[in-house]
Amino acid sequence: MHRARLGVIDKQPLLSSVLKPDSPGRPQRPLRRSSGDALLGGVCSGLARRFGVRIRTVRIIAVLLALFFALGIAAYMTLWIVLIRNGESSSIFTKTVNDRRDKEILFVVSIAILTLLIAFITIGVGPPGLSLWFLALTGLDSVMVWRGATEDERDHLRQISAHLARLRIGRSDGWRAVALRTGVGIVFIIWGISLMSRVSGEHGAAAYVLAGASALVLGIFALFAPWWIRSVQDLSLERRARARAQDRADMAAHVHDSVMQTLSLIQRAAADPNEVTRLARQQERDLRSWLANPETFGKNSSSSRTLSQALLEVESEVEDHYDVSVEAVLVGEASLDDATLALVAACREATVNAAKWSGAREVAIYAEVEEGQISVFIRDRGVGFDPKTVAPDRQGVAGSIVDRMRRHGGSADVTSSPGGGTEWELRLPRTTE
Amino acid sequence: MGVTTSANDRMTMAPPRIPKVFLVDDHALIRAGLRAELAGHVEVVGEADEVEAAIEMILERTPDVVLLDVHMPDGGGLAVLRAVTTTLPAVKFLALSVSDAAEDVIAVVRAGARGYVTKNIEGPELIEAIVRTAAGDAVFSRRLAGFVLDAFTNTARNATPAPSLDPALDQLTPREVEVLRLIARGYSYRDIAEQLGIATKTVESHVSAVLRKLQLSNRYQLTNWATERHLL
Repeated sequence: MHRARLGVIDKQPLLSSVLKPDSPGRPQRPLRRSSGDALLGGVCSGLARRFGVRIRTVRIIAVLLALFFALGIAAYMTLWIVLIRNGESSSIFTKTVNDRRDKEILFVVSIAILTLLIAFITIGVGPPGLSLWFLALTGLDSVMVWRGATEDERDHLRQISAHLARLRIGRSDGWRAVALRTGVGIVFIIWGISLMSRVSGEHGAAAYVLAGASALVLGIFALFAPWWIRSVQDLSLERRARARAQDRADMAAHVHDSVMQTLSLIQRAAADPNEVTRLARQQERDLRSWLANPETFGKNSSSSRTLSQALLEVESEVEDHYDVSVEAVLVGEASLDDATLALVAACREATVNAAKWSGAREVAIYAEVEEGQISVFIRDRGVGFDPKTVAPDRQGVAGSIVDRMRRHGGSADVTSSPGGGTEWELRLPRTTE
Repeated sequence: MGVTTSANDRMTMAPPRIPKVFLVDDHALIRAGLRAELAGHVEVVGEADEVEAAIEMILERTPDVVLLDVHMPDGGGLAVLRAVTTTLPAVKFLALSVSDAAEDVIAVVRAGARGYVTKNIEGPELIEAIVRTAAGDAVFSRRLAGFVLDAFTNTARNATPAPSLDPALDQLTPREVEVLRLIARGYSYRDIAEQLGIATKTVESHVSAVLRKLQLSNRYQLTNWATERHLL
């Protein structure tokens, strides 16, 4: 079958094979692992370049060799660690051997693999003898690749695993992945137990073997736990650092967009204290809402959906246009309809009146949504007025506040006395939803 | 330090002893501003900008009132509050915060603060709040009153009742609701007394009762509610 496929490739037109990356070229020295057209470690393409043959030829030979007692795999992995990667200065092997921590790991892994080998050979099960050694060598090489690969090569390997993820093999979610894993797991467990029960020919002995295997696993865990835990910690530390960097970037962007702009506006308006106060207040409110919920910040700017949002908008509008601070305290929540919108409009009018005429520096809005009604109080501690002296045709009080509330079945009362401040009391009956 | 006789004269209305105040805030500018505003009215016995130092100095100098910034690094004001109140329950805390988040406010007050004011409070009001805290009264800002009303009345109406050991702690009396509502509307204690035809002292005792309920209440919704509010 391989022969046949080779034949097909050889019959391809010359031009296309020249343009293809796996076209044979002049032999190049020295022997390096390829970094550009690597499928895994770049060993095959490196060899192909060194000897001036097609990459695909080398790859097929490697696969065929792998079928022969896993020789191909072991050779590949060994070359992976021994050969220097294109563009790098040392091989994985020299790097691993020169690093104290990696050397420790390597030592422990070797001992573990050797123990396993001896165990397998004495029990006499598992794959035939020669491939066992090759597989052991492969395992050792893999550990070295895992420890010693450079960041660049890791990136490459990560990309490969990302491709695997696209095939939904490496992913942990999706029913296919789960089914695949479960299937493979069950096959191996059954195989393992049947092998164990073969030790002495009876099923009872499997228990001892199982116990032994558990001890083995525990032992391996004890050997590797420190490194494993450390690498997990490294990973989570790195992740946290990345999250922090992201947060900092967001923060910097927001500070730049809002605070810096406001500060430069304030510098320009330094001579006008009212303008400075207004800008500072606007910025304060902006930052406050950002601190309170950064996720939704700036997303629902124009359209108010609830009563409290609408009243908070009244708060900020009046603060922006008049030199007073308005504080709205809200209890409960209601959705907006014609009646509540009228309530909001009346509240705005009362607040504007307070800001314009009372002379007070603060206006307090208090809104409470109860089962049967919504009440809004607008209070200032300013100069106040005598409600009886206000001409009945004055649009502000009569039309915008009192009539508007009446039209929607509510009421508006004002309590005020000269020098004693003013309080509006708006009430709107509420039909329970 | 820095208490002049003229300041003493001005304080004739306040309790005879000038309260000793300690400032905890991680912003030097805020501390300086507070010092300037409080100078002559209360005695600032010290300030700290971090949790460890604050705990140590408060235990050493035993102020009457600690003005505490809720949002400090290293566990923030809550850590200071908890550490000091276990050893020195006589020290009273007044929380000072820029935050409007119900979660933060409820957390500090439930941990034992005698009140909560926002940082944009006017100087005279802050001094009044400190004097009141020192005298053992509760200090309710409009916003805190709103929070409490929201938590106690609305959850009672909408949510399922919480299992509780002492139902008396889990609801407000009609009079307390009335007082809180007036505070939320912007009335001073004196205004409220006048409006309801009761003594100012009675208003104070109502408010203290509400604070105690807020701190001791078992209703788990309080925390849930505050968290939800924060997320909304």
